Amino acid sequence: MTDHLSNAILNALADGELTADQQASANQHLAECPACTSYALHQSLLKSATAKAGLRYAPSPQLHERLASLASKTNSESPATCLLDAPRSPSRSVWGSLGWATAAVLLLVSVSMILVQRGTQKDERASAEDAALVTEVFDQHIATLAGSQPLQVISTDRHTVKPWFQGKIPFSFNLPQGLPSDTALVGANLTYLGSQPVAQLLYSIGKHRVSVFLRQRAGKTEANKWPAERSGFHVMGFNTDDLDAIAISDVDPVRMAELVDAIKYAQTGDQKQPR
Amino acid sequence: MRLPWKKQAREAGPQTSEFERLALPLLPSLYNIAFWLSRNETDAEDLVQETFLKALRGFASFEPGSNFKAWIFRILRNTYLTSRSGLAARRTVALEDELNENGEFGPAQLPEAAIERQTPETNLLLMADRSSLQAAMETLPPPLLEVVLLCDVEEMKYREISTALEIPIGTVMSRIARARTALRAALAAQQSSSREVRV
Repeated sequence: MTDHLSNAILNALADGELTADQQASANQHLAECPACTSYALHQSLLKSATAKAGLRYAPSPQLHERLASLASKTNSESPATCLLDAPRSPSRSVWGSLGWATAAVLLLVSVSMILVQRGTQKDERASAEDAALVTEVFDQHIATLAGSQPLQVISTDRHTVKPWFQGKIPFSFNLPQGLPSDTALVGANLTYLGSQPVAQLLYSIGKHRVSVFLRQRAGKTEANKWPAERSGFHVMGFNTDDLDAIAISDVDPVRMAELVDAIKYAQTGDQKQPR
Repeated sequence: MRLPWKKQAREAGPQTSEFERLALPLLPSLYNIAFWLSRNETDAEDLVQETFLKALRGFASFEPGSNFKAWIFRILRNTYLTSRSGLAARRTVALEDELNENGEFGPAQLPEAAIERQTPETNLLLMADRSSLQAAMETLPPPLLEVVLLCDVEEMKYREISTALEIPIGTVMSRIARARTALRAALAAQQSSSREVRV
């Protein structure tokens, strides 16, 4: 038995393959061992980077078409269709009509299936992008907590933190004047999500830390579709016309929501005060 | 070994429309892995097409409700192993593979020295761009590359990978560990060579 977590445990941790007992034991060790925490973080970053880099090649539309027609051609040779091709009986015209009707129905069903499938694939792609975003956010937050690198700007003053981003990011944002009780701004980082510059604001709520990532509105991603939890950390956020905001922390989600609301109101200019 | 999906071929298996429903959405994943393994477009297309044909022919023996993804990836992998590029890879790669399964957690423990805890690897990875990592992945031998692709890109569980590749879970874990160690080494080598060029 070594003092540190084994390589196998660290890999399984990154891959989400630990049992509940192993996970609890690993978490306990990580809470006390910066070296293993740093290594676990690295494994996690490597995994997510490999996942992105590994998605490299896409099939041509011709191949897709060829394989789809291969499958549907086999379909058309199914027993039902063979029945239509059987020697014609005296009621040939009836079978013939039935054949055309079946073909028409099959065509309609195929077209519907393609449309449904396209919709499903689009949904799956969006869902995968949301999951990847939350994974990146989680990794960045853990990296910040690990303290391997100090914050790039350390200040509780919003008039210091906000101007620090001038010229560093292609958008602007507001920081709330009033914060919920026991909540304070700690500092911020310029970081990247999906190769885009983002502002990472670090807040404290009691002894917990909350990372709030602000980025320029990207596509049609919807905050309410982001996974609400990642490895025990709560995830929430909001969208405005110009910004996506995503927050992550292990603090009580109600208190985290108060902070997120305050930041949201600061962007929208809503007069409603934080709870 | 009796595999979960294996059973006697039924006279009337699931309809092939079910095959389309299950297989076509996996085409991008199958093609991506086929390309990574074969390293060229023509071979990748042939590989995927042959996989589809074999899967169609054998679909009657696929048990509905079992893991179709693992099933079709297994066909892809076996097709690759007998393909020209797969045979060539097998001739050139000798992998001292199996770590002991001790009946407890995963493979035998790797030597502690293999874990370089104090190096600033996190920074290295943050600085590495996608093409650097792709170049590092290209240096992996196929048995390590396929396990990383299935685990990290396809997000398959160790048990599914074990089923798809027909290897014990302990071997899956040891290959993942070795693949990641190799990726880190390749990234570090790229980093140091680029530093030398700058100097």
